[in-house]
Amino acid sequence: MIARRRLSTGVRALLALLLTCLAGFPLFWIINTAMTPTTDLFQGQQRLVPDISRTLDVFSVLTTDTPFLGWMANSAVVAFGTTLLSLVMATMAAYALSRYKFVGKGPMGFLFFATQMLPEALLVVPLYSLFAALGLLNQLSGLVLVNTAFAMPVALFILKSAIDNVPYELEESARVDGCSPLSILQVMVVPLVAPSMAAAAVITFFDGWNEYLFATTFIRDRSSWVGSTGLASFIGEFSTPLDTVFSAALVFTIPAIIFFLLMQRKIVSGLTAGSVKG
Amino acid sequence: MPTIEFDQVSKNFAGNTVIKGFDATVADKEFLVLLGPSGCGKSTMLRMIAGLTDISSGELRFDGVAVNDLEPKKRNIAFVFQSYALYPHMSVRANIGFPLVMDNFKWWHHIPLVGGFARRALMKRGDIAGEIDQVAEMLELTDYLDRRPKALSGGQRQRVAVARSLIREPALYLLDEPLSNLDAKLRTQMRAEISALHDRVQKSFVYVTHDQVEAMTMGTRIIVLNDGVVQQYGTPKEIYDRPANTFVARFIGSPPMNLVPVTFTDRGADMFGNTLSFAPPETLGEQAMQLGIRAEKVRVHAAGQDDGQAGYPAQIVTVENLGAETVVGFKFGSEPHDFEVGARASRDLFYAKLVGDVRLEHGQMCTVSFDPGDVLWYSTESGELFDSTQMASS
Repeated sequence: MIARRRLSTGVRALLALLLTCLAGFPLFWIINTAMTPTTDLFQGQQRLVPDISRTLDVFSVLTTDTPFLGWMANSAVVAFGTTLLSLVMATMAAYALSRYKFVGKGPMGFLFFATQMLPEALLVVPLYSLFAALGLLNQLSGLVLVNTAFAMPVALFILKSAIDNVPYELEESARVDGCSPLSILQVMVVPLVAPSMAAAAVITFFDGWNEYLFATTFIRDRSSWVGSTGLASFIGEFSTPLDTVFSAALVFTIPAIIFFLLMQRKIVSGLTAGSVKG
Repeated sequence: MPTIEFDQVSKNFAGNTVIKGFDATVADKEFLVLLGPSGCGKSTMLRMIAGLTDISSGELRFDGVAVNDLEPKKRNIAFVFQSYALYPHMSVRANIGFPLVMDNFKWWHHIPLVGGFARRALMKRGDIAGEIDQVAEMLELTDYLDRRPKALSGGQRQRVAVARSLIREPALYLLDEPLSNLDAKLRTQMRAEISALHDRVQKSFVYVTHDQVEAMTMGTRIIVLNDGVVQQYGTPKEIYDRPANTFVARFIGSPPMNLVPVTFTDRGADMFGNTLSFAPPETLGEQAMQLGIRAEKVRVHAAGQDDGQAGYPAQIVTVENLGAETVVGFKFGSEPHDFEVGARASRDLFYAKLVGDVRLEHGQMCTVSFDPGDVLWYSTESGELFDSTQMASS
C-alpha cells in the first residue's frame, strides 16, 4: 500500500516536472536568445546556457537606443486603464444582470456574448472611421476604450456567475440594516466576489497589455506606441537584431508576470463560508 | 413601538395566491408566532412586514400608518433570517455593529472608497464600540468578537444574528425560524433566551416557526396559517384548548387531538357501533360530526377494570412509554382487530396520553372513557368547531 502511494507520488512529481519544463522552456529560450549576440544566432551558434555577462550590454542598448521604456509606460496606462474601466463597468452590469428583472435582460446578455463572436480584424475599419470622427486616434484613451469593449464582456460573465452565488439573504439583511443599493454592491457584493474580480482583472489586464492590432492601427505617433507595437517595430526589412528583440520581449513579459503573481494571491475560494446555513 | 394591522393583505406570485385576505391586529409588546406547515405562507408574511416582499393587495399599517411602500430600513425593524445571513468577510464585532454604523452614515459616506474609511472610523467611535461590547456580553459573545463567522459554531452564529438585531433597539423584531437548524439541546436553550430577551426589551416580536412547541412556549399570541389562510388567531391556551377547526386540532398537540367520526341515527349518536351516552344538543342538520377530544383527556383501562364511568370497548395497538407519560394508541371495537401494517395501521387509530408507566400491552382489549365536558364537536363538512354553548351533557 505504502509502496503504491510512493509510486503514485513519484509519477505525479515527474508529471509536474515535465509540465513545468514545457511551460518554462519558452521563457528560458527567450533569456538564452537575448544573451546571445545576433551574429552567433545567424551562424547557428545558439548557446545552451545563457551568457549572463552580456545582461547589462543587452539592456543598455534597449534603454538608450530605443524609447522602449516609454512604450512600456504607455502599455501600462492602456492595460491598467482597460482593467479599471472593465471591472467597474462589468461589476455593475453583472450585478444588474444577476439580481434585477427588466425587459430585454435575456437579449442584453446575448449581445454582450455576441461581442466575443466577432473577430477584431472585422471591426478595425469601422472603428477606425468612428475613432477618427471622435478624435480618438493617436490617443491612449482610445485604445483603453476599444480594449474595454472586448475585455469587459468576459469580465462580466465571470462576475455574473460569482454574484449569482452570493447568498441573497446577505443583501436583504444589508437592506434591513440600512444599506442603499450602491452600498450593498460596495460593502457586500464586491468583497465577496473579490476572487473572481482578481481573475477578471488578470484577463482584462492581459487583454490590454498584449493587444497589438488596434494599437498598431490607431496609434501613428512613435512616442505614443505601446510595448507590443514597439516590439514588432524591431523586426526590420533588412536586418533584425534578434538579441534586442528577445531582450525587449523579456522586459515586456516581466510586468505581466508580476501582475499575475500579485493577483494570484487573491484568487482564493470560500469567502462566503459561514454566512448562511449550509 | 407599533401596533401592526393587517387589512385584507394578499400576496400573489405569478398568478398563484400564497396569502389570501389576511386580517389581524397585533398589539404592542406582543410576542406573535406565525405557525403553520411548510409552504403555508408564514415566511412570506414576515417578509411583507419587513418590506422585503411587496404586498399584492390590502394594507399593512404600523400604528395606523400604511407602510406598504416604506423601505425596510425606514420601518425600524430588525430581521433574524432563517439562514444566519452573517456577513462572512466581516468579524463578529463588525457584524454586530453594522446596523449602528449604517445608521450613522452620511450621504457622502456612500461614495466608493470613502465608505470603507468611514466604516472603520465609526467602528472605533466610543459609543458604538461600547454598544457592541454590551450586546456581546449579554449574548456571551465577548470572546468571539474578533473571529469571522466561519470560525463559529451554529449556536454562536445564531447568537451573533440575534445580537445584530438587538443593537439598534428597533421597535419590532422579526424572526424567521431562527432555531430550525440547531440541535435539540441548543434549541431549548435558545428558546428560553429569546423569551427572556422579549421580557427584557419589552418590544414587539413576530416569530415564524413550524414547530408547535416553540409556538406554545414562546408566543403570547399565535396565528395558525394554512395555504395562506388564517385558521385561528388567539393565545396558546385558546388555540390548544379550543381549536377553531379540524386543521388546527390536528396541527397543534402531540399526539394530535382525536377526531372520532360520529353518525346520528334513530337510536342516538353512534361511534364505531357504540351509542354515546351524550350528544350535541343539535346537529345543525348534519348526519355526521367529528368528536374532538385531547389525548390527555382520554382514560384507558384494561377490560373489566373500568372506573365506573361509561366506557367504550377498544383494542390497544401501540404503547409508547416516554418515562413521565405513556402514549397509548387504540382502535374502537369489541372484537380484536387483525394486525395491520402501513397506512391501514394508522387508520381509525386514536390516542390517549396517560400519566406515568401504565401496565397495558399491545393487542390487549380495553375500555376507553372521557368526560363529555372535555369534548368538542366539529362539522364533518366544513371542519369548523361548533360553539360550546350548543353542547350539553345528556
